[in-house]
Amino acid sequence: MDTVSRVKSSRRRIFGTLAPVAAAVTLAGCATNAPQDTFQPDGPNSQMIHDLNMLVFPIAGVVGVLVISLAVYIFWRYKDRGQAIPSQAHGKPVAEIVLTIVPALILSVVGVFTFRTIFDLAETQDTEIIINVTGQQWWWEYDYPVQPELGINQPIVTSGQLVFPAGTKVLLRETSRDVIHSYWIPRLNGKKDAVPGRVHLLRLEADKPGIYAGQCAEFCGLSHANMRMEAVALSKEDFAKWVANQQKAYTPPAAGTIEAEGEAVFIAQCSRCHQVNGLEDSQGKPIISAPDENVYSGAAPNLTALMTRNTFAGAMFDLVTDKCRADVWDASAEEFGERYLQGVTEDCLNQKDLRAWLRNAPEMKPMYADPTLLEPTDGKYRGMPYLALSEDDIDKLVAYLLTLK
Amino acid sequence: MFTTGSKYFIGVTALSLVAAILYMFLVNPSDLGALALVGLAVSAATMAGFALFTRDSDVETVEEAVEASAAPTDASYWPIVFALGGAMVLLGMATIPVVFVLGIAVLVGGGVEWTIQSWADRASADTSYNRGVRAKVLGGIEYPGLSAVVAIVVAFLFSRVMLATSKDAATIIFIIIASIIFALGFVFASRADLRRKAVTLVLPLAVAVLAIAGIVSAMSGEREQLVEAAREDHFAAEHRECGEEASKYYDKHANNKVSLRSAVIATITVENGEVYAQMVGLDTKVDTITIPRMNATTVLFRNRDAEERRLVVDLGTREVEDSDIVEKVGTCTQLTGKDQEQVLTLTIPKPATEEAPYSFYVPGVNGKIGLVVP
Repeated sequence: MDTVSRVKSSRRRIFGTLAPVAAAVTLAGCATNAPQDTFQPDGPNSQMIHDLNMLVFPIAGVVGVLVISLAVYIFWRYKDRGQAIPSQAHGKPVAEIVLTIVPALILSVVGVFTFRTIFDLAETQDTEIIINVTGQQWWWEYDYPVQPELGINQPIVTSGQLVFPAGTKVLLRETSRDVIHSYWIPRLNGKKDAVPGRVHLLRLEADKPGIYAGQCAEFCGLSHANMRMEAVALSKEDFAKWVANQQKAYTPPAAGTIEAEGEAVFIAQCSRCHQVNGLEDSQGKPIISAPDENVYSGAAPNLTALMTRNTFAGAMFDLVTDKCRADVWDASAEEFGERYLQGVTEDCLNQKDLRAWLRNAPEMKPMYADPTLLEPTDGKYRGMPYLALSEDDIDKLVAYLLTLK
Repeated sequence: MFTTGSKYFIGVTALSLVAAILYMFLVNPSDLGALALVGLAVSAATMAGFALFTRDSDVETVEEAVEASAAPTDASYWPIVFALGGAMVLLGMATIPVVFVLGIAVLVGGGVEWTIQSWADRASADTSYNRGVRAKVLGGIEYPGLSAVVAIVVAFLFSRVMLATSKDAATIIFIIIASIIFALGFVFASRADLRRKAVTLVLPLAVAVLAIAGIVSAMSGEREQLVEAAREDHFAAEHRECGEEASKYYDKHANNKVSLRSAVIATITVENGEVYAQMVGLDTKVDTITIPRMNATTVLFRNRDAEERRLVVDLGTREVEDSDIVEKVGTCTQLTGKDQEQVLTLTIPKPATEEAPYSFYVPGVNGKIGLVVP
């Protein structure tokens, strides 16, 4: 085989390898089962961004293709073939004016629509429900301020899953307890940074009941990739049921049961950091957790009504089995509320991950929880530490946690 | 290739590096011992570089030897400065730390000057060349260093004058001096021929006046209000009476403007004798504010009434450790004038109990705003 043939053959091989990869990457963009796809808006805010994108993307695409094609053509057409250097000309007023005015016009058109969208997205005066969102390494806390018109007569604190009524204008007031995070549910709105000491506003609205996945979008440390979130939109009636359930008084397990033993283990091992509203000590005094004394961010997830959520550990793990999860995620808008409000049943509980978490949490999620490396944080953990629980204690704890519905 | 001196220092570098690595692996990678060994390696490497660069300061010709052994033509005062530094260090050890620190600075400065001067005096047999090389090496250190010392002395003396005179007099003095400096600057800039003579006349005179004024002011002490403020610790928490009346200390220098409007979680307003709250992002009035637990959260207070008001947050009570004493917990803004505002930043680690809920209130005004910490 001569040199020319070898070069051609080599080019064909490279092209033959790259073409399917490029095609696969391009086709991946057409996937419909993509929970964090910005091209599948499910609410008016994300729709606004999508509409803007549909205007800007083709314009930017045409400009990009033109510029790159022109550049490639010029590189190829005028590459050094040993020809004489052509005559050098300087200044071409018509070309310069056209090349200034055309981009300015394009940017003006894009700018008008972009600014209008930015202002529309920043609208908050017609808010129907307010939820405080606080980020910390590596989970999100949601607290619902008292809003009697929505039946919220005492604050509700939850984590992992943001629950809100569909078709309702939700105003998230975001902040952070430690470093900068960024709240992003792609199908519902764009990103918004959660910054310590500041309150940033983000509007969410879902067209229909369902569950929407998200991801912290600002690098925030070791487990940034594991800092996930799920936004759950319920019908207004179902949301009212959820609110009522969250405010339900605590019912202690019956004495002598494994659940009661689990409650004792929880009080001894977990209540230093995790709050369960209504939990009382042996003297009948409310147990107030003190994560500020044990955790660097000063907070740990409130576990009241834990089993009404489908996730734990910053939404990194499911509290339900794959089958039960699919039942909720794949439910139609009409059936979704009923399935979600069932919460975690004993049959559906993801025993494997929950037990592994209780056995050794730092092994499941990187969290700087090594007690020998806590000097920079004055001995405080950045996540759940290893608690050296016995298998017996884990059995009791799982039984108790299942009662928190 | 390698001179005798450089070989010695390269050996020290290698040895200390090996020792440092062993120390880090076997003892502790981050304690002072490792740092000292690495420091020794770096110092020895630097000396090795010097020895290589100067070829151990060996001379190769008789002329060079003559130049190098020539006696300096200029007298050097640096040994005296160096000795003064040593005396100050000793004095500082027996008296106050600041003298010790100044002594170290004089020792280092004098030592560097002395060393470079000695080297420059023997750089060649040509005195003017020697002065040139000295200026080349030390010019970049001396001018900024001297300028910094002069600036510190001037600022210190001037501050003594400002602290000794009354607030009004201090303002007038400041304006007059600034005007004189501006006028002189203008004259010097427009009349280049005046510059040299005037500068040599005016600047020493100004420094002398300032030195006398500063010393006299320092001896007479600070004005009475400042002495009292320091003695009473005006901004200490115990002076926050948080009542309706003006506090003698806490309200002394209320600043009724804030720039933090975009980072607050809620606004509390007093208007027509009523207090109401609004959550950020909404215009509707609310009677409860919920703030996240254990998170620095800011609330903005606005006073629309003619009377001065303050915002107080009541965070219940707590028992003083090892005693039966129960004290109120809370804080407040300073008194705030009409159409002005202040902020309160709160970090609350625990929720309130049902018996003693948290709240915001404005002394002298009806109504409370509930504060809920989940």
